[in-house]
Amino acid sequence: MIKDITLGQYFPGESFMHKMDPRMKLILTLFYVVSLFLVPDFWGFAIVGALMLLIIIFSGISLKVVLRGLKPLMFIILFTAFFNVLYGGGEPLFPEIGWLSWLKAEGVRNALFMIVRIILLILGTSYLTYTTSPVMLTDAMERLLRPLKAFKLPVHELAMMMTIALRFIPTLIDETDKIINAQKARGADFETGNIFRRAKALIPILIPLLISAFRRAEELADAMECRCYHGGEGRTRYKVYSFGWRDFLALALMVTVIGAIILLMIF
Amino acid sequence: MIKTENLSHLYSEGTPFQTTAIEDINIHIPKGDYVGVIGHTGSGKSTLIAHFNAILKPTSGKIFIDGQDLWSADKKTRIQTRFDVGLVFQYPEHQLFEETVYKDISFGPKNMGLPEYEIHKRVDKALDFVGLDRALLDKSPFDLSGGQKRRVAIAGVMALEPKVLILDEPAAGLDPRGRDEILSRIRDYHRETKSTVLLVSHSMEDVSRNANSILVMNKGRCVMHDSVPAVFERAEDLVGMGLDVPKITRVFISLREKGYPVSPNVYTVEQGKDELMKLLRKGGEAND
Repeated sequence: MIKDITLGQYFPGESFMHKMDPRMKLILTLFYVVSLFLVPDFWGFAIVGALMLLIIIFSGISLKVVLRGLKPLMFIILFTAFFNVLYGGGEPLFPEIGWLSWLKAEGVRNALFMIVRIILLILGTSYLTYTTSPVMLTDAMERLLRPLKAFKLPVHELAMMMTIALRFIPTLIDETDKIINAQKARGADFETGNIFRRAKALIPILIPLLISAFRRAEELADAMECRCYHGGEGRTRYKVYSFGWRDFLALALMVTVIGAIILLMIF
Repeated sequence: MIKTENLSHLYSEGTPFQTTAIEDINIHIPKGDYVGVIGHTGSGKSTLIAHFNAILKPTSGKIFIDGQDLWSADKKTRIQTRFDVGLVFQYPEHQLFEETVYKDISFGPKNMGLPEYEIHKRVDKALDFVGLDRALLDKSPFDLSGGQKRRVAIAGVMALEPKVLILDEPAAGLDPRGRDEILSRIRDYHRETKSTVLLVSHSMEDVSRNANSILVMNKGRCVMHDSVPAVFERAEDLVGMGLDVPKITRVFISLREKGYPVSPNVYTVEQGKDELMKLLRKGGEAND
């Protein structure tokens, strides 16, 4: 069922990672992603991988759940790897076997490099959302972007839109599930036939879904107006964030990792 | 007709959100029965019925429809099961999608691969069943009122002419008149076609007035499955589960407590009337 997708989900908890300031988590995730792209060789991945291991241990979320979330992305990962193998240069790996001549050392190395990079990328960003509730995440984003208000960027509105969008993902997934089941009960078939038939089979799902999304949007707008929402001007916060020892510890760790990677790049 | 063996279902298995929806359900529903399924919100009613037409796959256990084990059969059998066991979900009006009422009701029969004249006949019959005007057939279902939409959606399942009809809170959110009408039409359908009907509800009143037997769900388990009088004999257990007994039953329980010789198994107003008439004929005195 679509409910089982764990990508982007939040798992409530009380771990080290959960207790970190979401602003710091956001910044560090950014650094993490950058460091992944700086990594020059597999030693670099070993360092980032060690950091990832720490994150996994200190988040209290079992790797099993996360790996299940990776499953739907397996296709993209393998697809990327496949093309990296095809376009790699260098010497053939098995020169004595003729039909394997396309399998070249550099291609295989590139492919493996890509697989590790993508997996670490997904893991790192997943753990951000696993340990940070959507509301905290957008809250942190709004605060980090606040300086851009000077350039007339509607930071609060953007953050609010994002909060609402994130808030309604599970609701809409639930709704989709229900509609799929209701149409299945009337004998709708989404699994057989060619691509055109399958695309057409989606109409009985998409139309009710769209209609209910509009209905919800209207209801939400009414509910917000009833509670006197009028944008970000003069709005105060229920939760005030401050950096604590966890955040500085994590920052120090991240800086160490980036430093190590830069050293690897130089030597 | 419908049989389950140790049927269990977990949601989000293997994640921190894992919850047991239903657990170890063993029931047997004979052909032609009218079963009321009651239970609290979250007691597993809806999960249970979604197993009966192969929409949900059990985490463990088996389901037999007409003696056929659903999940060891091939896919074709399961698709056929969806036509044999008609399932009307909660708020079915949210599934409407076609341009016209006619097209929407005929969605199911079309999926069955029926010829055009047969589809036409079935839409006609289904329309009669829910009591909708033929003038609405060419209208968009989205232009109708809430009650009319509900009827169109129910007609969409009725047009499958299922051998087993399952309705999940078909009357939720309707006004009392709309509710009585829908329930009485289901009762008529049951009488005329001798088909098996399951009515999911948390209104004891609706269930006791319509069903022959009652299945009580509590915290994912089937705690009672018996004839209506037998279930109401355990009225106190029901109250303990946070379920309400019909108001008329409560009146008669208090009458008995006051010492009047009335039957404790009164759960419809008609029965109540008969009981009271009997009592009055006897002189209407309380035993001391």
